[in-house]
Amino acid sequence: MMSPRVMAATRPYLYLAPTLAVLAAFTYFPIARLAEMSLRAPGVGTSLGPWIGLSAYAKLFANPLFWRVLGQTILFVFASVPIAMAFALGLALLLDQPLRGLGVFRVLYYTPVVMPTVAVAALALWMFNANGGVVDYFLRSLGIAPVPWLVESTWALPTLILIAVWKNVGYYMIIYLAGLQALPQAVLDAARLDGARPIVRFFTITLPLLRPTTFFIAVVALIGSFQIFDFVNLMTQGGPSNATNVLVYFAYQNGFEYLQLGMAAAISLIMFALVLLILGAVAWAFNR
Amino acid sequence: MIRRSASYAVLVAGLVPLLLPFYWMAVTSLKPKREVFTATPQWLPTHPAWDNYLLAWTAEPFARFFFNSAVVTALIVALQLVLASLAAFALSRFEFPGRRVIFWTVVAALIVPVQVTFIANFMTLAHFGLLNTYAALIAPYAASAFGTFLLRQAFATVPRQLEDAARLDGCSGLGFLWHILLPLSRPTVLAFALVAVVAHWNDYFWPLIVTSNNTVRTLPIGLGMFIGQEVTTDWNLLMAASIFVSAPMLLLFFFMQRYFVQSKLYTGIRG
Repeated sequence: MMSPRVMAATRPYLYLAPTLAVLAAFTYFPIARLAEMSLRAPGVGTSLGPWIGLSAYAKLFANPLFWRVLGQTILFVFASVPIAMAFALGLALLLDQPLRGLGVFRVLYYTPVVMPTVAVAALALWMFNANGGVVDYFLRSLGIAPVPWLVESTWALPTLILIAVWKNVGYYMIIYLAGLQALPQAVLDAARLDGARPIVRFFTITLPLLRPTTFFIAVVALIGSFQIFDFVNLMTQGGPSNATNVLVYFAYQNGFEYLQLGMAAAISLIMFALVLLILGAVAWAFNR
Repeated sequence: MIRRSASYAVLVAGLVPLLLPFYWMAVTSLKPKREVFTATPQWLPTHPAWDNYLLAWTAEPFARFFFNSAVVTALIVALQLVLASLAAFALSRFEFPGRRVIFWTVVAALIVPVQVTFIANFMTLAHFGLLNTYAALIAPYAASAFGTFLLRQAFATVPRQLEDAARLDGCSGLGFLWHILLPLSRPTVLAFALVAVVAHWNDYFWPLIVTSNNTVRTLPIGLGMFIGQEVTTDWNLLMAASIFVSAPMLLLFFFMQRYFVQSKLYTGIRG
């Protein structure tokens, strides 16, 4: 029997134990495990194989496809995140007005966020389809030639960026709106009384005050965008000719198609390191 | 006056690219096969083909997938709520050595997505022979760093005096969590639960990694398989399937929308 005092002292640890156990097993241990796997040559079975040093990394760095995939991932992230954030801020500013009926818009703009990515992928495949797609019909009726959205290398990645922006803009918009509504009203009123023009007020007061919100959204959006996989797997399988291959998909391919689990582990770790590096840089830039 | 109508005009214009895809999905799902491909898009189905939904529903074992999705989502969210409540209770209402370190350990987990760890987690579950089980679909999500963090923030706002008063009334420990903290944090709890339901109902990535068998596959996987088969042919059936996969989340969202779009869920996260 434990004394009541010991029981009281262990209680918080007891409450935390299940959460910490799950995080340890499925979040923290896997990082160490990935490192181990990348230094060995694990087979498909349970054997982890002999230690092979850094040769998985050496092979990866010598593979031009790896660098292309890395570049395409970075392009996807650094195109889709700022575009979605800019639209989100614009919408949030419009919705942060004392006008009637704005609640409806808030809900409607958020709708794509709750859609399953699989349903969005199915719909996008149909709308951007080269055979009977409604998007090309609109272009043609505007006198513009149809675009080879998903069939041509130059267009495939931009098409995925467009779809990702459509899906995420409502989420960032809601966070921006929360940020705008939490701004000190007195400061904004003072600027208005000073007669500052709206555009000046926005750049000198609103935007700087929103810095913490912008930082938070940037972090969430960067982490989320690096995870891009669903649209690639469902719509392009990385193609045409690897034009939409991105890091998570590349790791998945190496692990489950080529059964190169060590290589896949190395790719995952490199991506994780890259995300940490970029988050560090963003944190530094915002807190300077 | 002009600014006001300009605002409305921009907001309405923005709805076109946003909502037109939904409309097109619905219209396509009701078209008979011969009306799917037309030179000019047909904006209204002349003869709504309601049996498209039945055809799509039976084209894959969607009933089974639906059941699997419901079970897996319900269990994940229930476990997350229990584990997060307990952990948040400890982190917000107790003083103990290591509290700060544990708190940051939980928060740091937010930057390690399953898209990074999936190969190692796949190996672990394969090692224990758990692939193609509900356990594999649920276990990695049994705890939620996000939920723990949100609930901790909510619990921390409940004043100390309330805890002392409750203790005098003989309500302490887990009783205090159940009778006082959770009811007082209802909006946060509900908002988190809804967000978690949507996230796990929609999840495509993790079930794809650990299932290869129809008895445990979830709806997104089923719809993904349907895409693989139907592409370039029966768009009407594919759109019908997309609608019944999305419908539960869309309904949940429209009925509970104030919990999704409330600012409470986001202001607490800042800084």
